[in-house]
Amino acid sequence: MLRTSMAERRTHGSGRYVLGVAVALVLLGIAVVLSLGVGSKPLDSGQIVDSIMGVGDDYVDAVLASRVPRTVLGVIVGAALAVAGGVMQGVTRNPLADPGLFGINVGAAAAIVTGTAFFGAVASGSVWLALIGAVIAVVIVYALGSSRGQAGTTRIVLAGAVVTAVFSAYVQAISLSFPDVFDAYRFWVVGSLAGRGIEQAWVILPFVAVGLVLALAIAPGLNTLALGDDVATALGQRPIVVRLLSGAAVAVLAGAATAGVGPVLFVGLAVPHIARSISGPDHRRLLPLCIALGPVLLLLSDVLGRVIARPDELMVGVMTAFVGAPALFIALRRLKGERR
Amino acid sequence: MRAQRHTLRIGTRVSVRVQVRTLVVIACLVVAVIALSVLTLAFGDLGVPPLQLPSALVADSGADSFVVQTLRGPRLLVALGAGAAFGVSGSLFQRVTRNPLGSPDVIGLTAGASAGAVAFGILWPGIVPLPAGAVIGASAAIALVYIATGTGFASPGKLIIAGIGVQAIALSFVQFMLTRIKREQATVLATWLNGSLEARSLRDAGIILLILAVFGTAALVLSRRLAIVEMGDDIADGVGASASHTRTWAVGIAIVLAAGGVAVCGPVAFIALMAPHVARVVARSNSPIVAGLTGAVLLMSADMIVQFAPIQQQLPVGVVTALIGGIFLGGLLISQWRKGAL
Repeated sequence: MLRTSMAERRTHGSGRYVLGVAVALVLLGIAVVLSLGVGSKPLDSGQIVDSIMGVGDDYVDAVLASRVPRTVLGVIVGAALAVAGGVMQGVTRNPLADPGLFGINVGAAAAIVTGTAFFGAVASGSVWLALIGAVIAVVIVYALGSSRGQAGTTRIVLAGAVVTAVFSAYVQAISLSFPDVFDAYRFWVVGSLAGRGIEQAWVILPFVAVGLVLALAIAPGLNTLALGDDVATALGQRPIVVRLLSGAAVAVLAGAATAGVGPVLFVGLAVPHIARSISGPDHRRLLPLCIALGPVLLLLSDVLGRVIARPDELMVGVMTAFVGAPALFIALRRLKGERR
Repeated sequence: MRAQRHTLRIGTRVSVRVQVRTLVVIACLVVAVIALSVLTLAFGDLGVPPLQLPSALVADSGADSFVVQTLRGPRLLVALGAGAAFGVSGSLFQRVTRNPLGSPDVIGLTAGASAGAVAFGILWPGIVPLPAGAVIGASAAIALVYIATGTGFASPGKLIIAGIGVQAIALSFVQFMLTRIKREQATVLATWLNGSLEARSLRDAGIILLILAVFGTAALVLSRRLAIVEMGDDIADGVGASASHTRTWAVGIAIVLAAGGVAVCGPVAFIALMAPHVARVVARSNSPIVAGLTGAVLLMSADMIVQFAPIQQQLPVGVVTALIGGIFLGGLLISQWRKGAL
């Protein structure tokens, strides 16, 4: 097993990885420019650069200023979701892992709905609520999915489905009993980058930063874990510690992202798959690439939602469901021959 | 243990092989349905005492007849019909997929039906009637799941994961529509989307009972062929009960039944998943009649809970079934992987 993974690493040579990172960064730049430029008043890249340099006209400045929060939020959330997905797929050895499928969204939703209904919580406080909800969901799903032995490939996803079912019943019960909660909830639950202020980005940024640092720090541990618990233990790792830290990183990243823009499915599923095809299985290479590629997918979905429904727009959560579900299907078909 | 079988003959032409246990269970379930009906009509401030029910059913005017004929009666009939339709549909799906988890909820069919109903109810109204829209959505969802798994309906785990994907697409569409309409409309739609029996009319009851009569009978006719198919495709083809035809018919019937249920009361969660399991435990049979009656009893009981539970506001019945069903699904998954089936 060790030998095959070494061989795999060799085929994904350094040159190819550096090229991949460079391409990812270029794509990120393009996505940012599109996110700033596309809308009911289109701006070209020249106008954007002029405005950033302080030589644009006032109208362009104003349009740009209205789009900056959305783009910043997209970058933060995209990176958070993609890395959360990458860590999750590593720790569960499950190629189908995605924060949304693990009940994290619905855990955050349940906490937010509870907070607004019973404790008069407000938007800026909802990050903490969402985090608590996310952590609770992670603990339950993991406990359920790994009952009686090691967590199987699909077991955790199925456990996530169960937790989702029960928690959403609760969310529906509360939101339908409190009309004001429902009114806020129906806009929150689609997941949107629009209409959120720059404050939202500043609130979640520290959480995401901590989560990213933690994820990168445990990347070597995830590599060892991939060799199996026995080998990991023999190599001086403590699998349980890696798992706990991973769970913490995932909960912080996905919880903060969900608190920021609402539930966005499938970014955490699709991006690590794309990144892995460039970086190979080494998490020390995979996760940084996810940081660059996550925002690309999220921002492009957002831009696409603005373009195809003009003069309206489709929320990014709707877009990623339509873009991401086919990605899930492709990943599923790849599990050929595997009964689990 | 071997079930006792007897052959029931009417004249020389008609003969039905029956299991005594199944018959007893059916009788008990019918009694339960009647008891639940009487209790539902009799409970609460507006309730009609059981002894006055017969006269309230036939009277032209009066408070009691209004309660029975307009307020609670249609609602009761819809609960009965939709519960039975979900139960039969779930039973057919679980048998066809040979998968105890293959229920319309889990594989995204009910979500697809909701999306179809919303699409043809709000986005493109007037093209096809809403129940037909639900059938279109449900069929599309099943087709997508079938393609997405790559192995048809064979692998339980894949089926569910593909279902989750289809559900995500369908629900995000529905949630998007929810943001596009007025708050009052949205509340009504959200209530329906959870599965609600509030303010049902005799027309709704008529729709679902008609669908149940036609397609429930079809399920019953198909049940024996399905039993042969369950012994293995080779045996089925050998005795002239083509396995693939039988399966196609069963899936078609199951889609219409589930979509019919969704059309009249929204996607009430997990009745279709639970009913066949409960039915198998109590009757040790796959009979669609038992599954249907069990579904009816489950939905009617859940509706009684929401109607008479001491909470401020009536919740949609689907919230109750989702809560109970979600826990049931958890237990089912654990028992499945203890058996090593997943």
